[in-house]
Amino acid sequence: MESNLRSLILLLPLLAFMGVMVAISVFVRHKQAGKNFVSSYFVGNRELGGFVLAMTTVATYSSVSSFVGGPGMAFQVGFGWVYMAVVQVTAIFLVLGIFGKRVALLARKLNAVTVVDIIRARFQSDFLAAVAAFVIVLFFCGTMTAQFVGGAKLFAAVTGYSYEAGLILFGLTVVIYTSIGGFRAVALTDTCCAIMMMIGIVLLLKYVLQAGGGYENIMTTLEVSNPELFEPFSFGNMPWTIYFTQWLLVGICTIALPQSVVRGISYKNTQGLHQAMLIGTIVVGFMNIGINFTGILAHGVLSGTAADYGGVDNIIPTTIVTAMPIELVGLAIIGPLAASISTISGLLIVASSAIVKDVYLHWAEKKNRTVTPARVKFLSMATTAVIGAAVFVIALTPPSLIWLINMFAFGGLETAFFWTLLLGLFWKHANKLGAMLSMTGGTIIYCATQAAGFKIMNLHQITIGITCSLILFLIGSYLGKRSDDETLKIFFP
Amino acid sequence: MKKNNRALNDAQKFSLVRREAIYTGLALVGLIIFWLVAGFGTASLDVKIFHIPLWAVLGTVGVWLVAIFISALLSQKLFTDMDLEGDDDGK
Repeated sequence: MESNLRSLILLLPLLAFMGVMVAISVFVRHKQAGKNFVSSYFVGNRELGGFVLAMTTVATYSSVSSFVGGPGMAFQVGFGWVYMAVVQVTAIFLVLGIFGKRVALLARKLNAVTVVDIIRARFQSDFLAAVAAFVIVLFFCGTMTAQFVGGAKLFAAVTGYSYEAGLILFGLTVVIYTSIGGFRAVALTDTCCAIMMMIGIVLLLKYVLQAGGGYENIMTTLEVSNPELFEPFSFGNMPWTIYFTQWLLVGICTIALPQSVVRGISYKNTQGLHQAMLIGTIVVGFMNIGINFTGILAHGVLSGTAADYGGVDNIIPTTIVTAMPIELVGLAIIGPLAASISTISGLLIVASSAIVKDVYLHWAEKKNRTVTPARVKFLSMATTAVIGAAVFVIALTPPSLIWLINMFAFGGLETAFFWTLLLGLFWKHANKLGAMLSMTGGTIIYCATQAAGFKIMNLHQITIGITCSLILFLIGSYLGKRSDDETLKIFFP
Repeated sequence: MKKNNRALNDAQKFSLVRREAIYTGLALVGLIIFWLVAGFGTASLDVKIFHIPLWAVLGTVGVWLVAIFISALLSQKLFTDMDLEGDDDGK
């Protein structure tokens, strides 16, 4: 009886939250009825305001690893990890400042609704567009699987329910609400998720401080017992190579992630963009510093090492269970789960648009085939559901080394899109051959070095991928034919 | 943010956007330098604020505050409001 009551207390907040997510998507679908389906489903009819734009960009960017693996590492490494993680404060103002307006202007000129639309128009290549769509779907599936697995493991560890139950509860919910509501629903639910993430951090911090006997007590103890936490290299646990590669992997190169760049197509006006740059930077910094600092303070609650609790991934779940009252545990894990589902929904809608809009609709247009609006609607929702369901099935038997797969996918997307977008949109001499060599060659080299475990100076393979991708782009642009004047007039008027 | 009261043509808009992207890139360089100096640059100092070493305070909260300042400077002072519709959109 008591056990049933405990289960109910744990599940109620989660069920309520998931119910709200689905209700939002149904409401959005109802409100969008009668509008251009493709535009409303894939970019929300370019109607996002500043606050929602900021929150959806932050929420899609912040994954479950930011809330579980990251603070677990901060527990082990100390302030060096927070110092490294804070580089993520650049992510929002960089992507919106560099690509936000340019992509918005181009999307309106070209009637584009996806990043691949813009790449196709810039380089006049269906092949490159197909490769870009393939790369998006491939790497997004990897990232989504990691989110599903991370979220379900957290759910199981905290609530005591099975991994599968967690997967069904939040995995199916995210697939359903994304399929029904499309981008607009994703943006609104992301906003709810980001707010819940912040509430979760504040709650956890409060109870960790309380359970640890107060800030003064925790820090005084740590200064004596764990001096390595106060040293930037953490007595060798944080080599400079991690700092360097993290600047690339989760800082600078994130500007080219398609799921972030597509936000530039979706907002209403430049006032909204300017607001979003500021709000997004405030929020992403609060989340990163807040949750990682909480990871360090968790020493006040957990007396052993990370290994004693089954590794760094178990630090936050164990801390939640240990420090928080039972009636708030369900509420507290909404934060990390929200990070997971907001990333999945953001990726799912872009992956779906890559297949339906960038491949199928473009093919139909070239073949002069008429696709009825009803068919487009059915295909879009079905494709979103099928991709989500496929990833869901993969996550049922979780592959090992899931966090490495997540980072692998992040690096692959950055290698493929960084120079293609940056040079393609800002350099007149960028051409089709350069973009093709960069995207295909760079991605293949990146994947090959990952598979072989080959590293230079022990740096993450993103450094090899991004360097080769640049060299190939420059060689191709030097050897290849210049883009035609008509295209250049659109992109560089 | 700068208000733009005159209608801009496409060339002017793209030129402005290019300039804003350069400002953003320069802001990034500035923030990286601050991050290096604030963190590694002060790591040898034996100063603590609320039990946290100075390098950690400046390298985390300090970097965050500077990033907020940069975002405000870019979005409120250096970036220009503009109509996103082009000269011949949809034609």
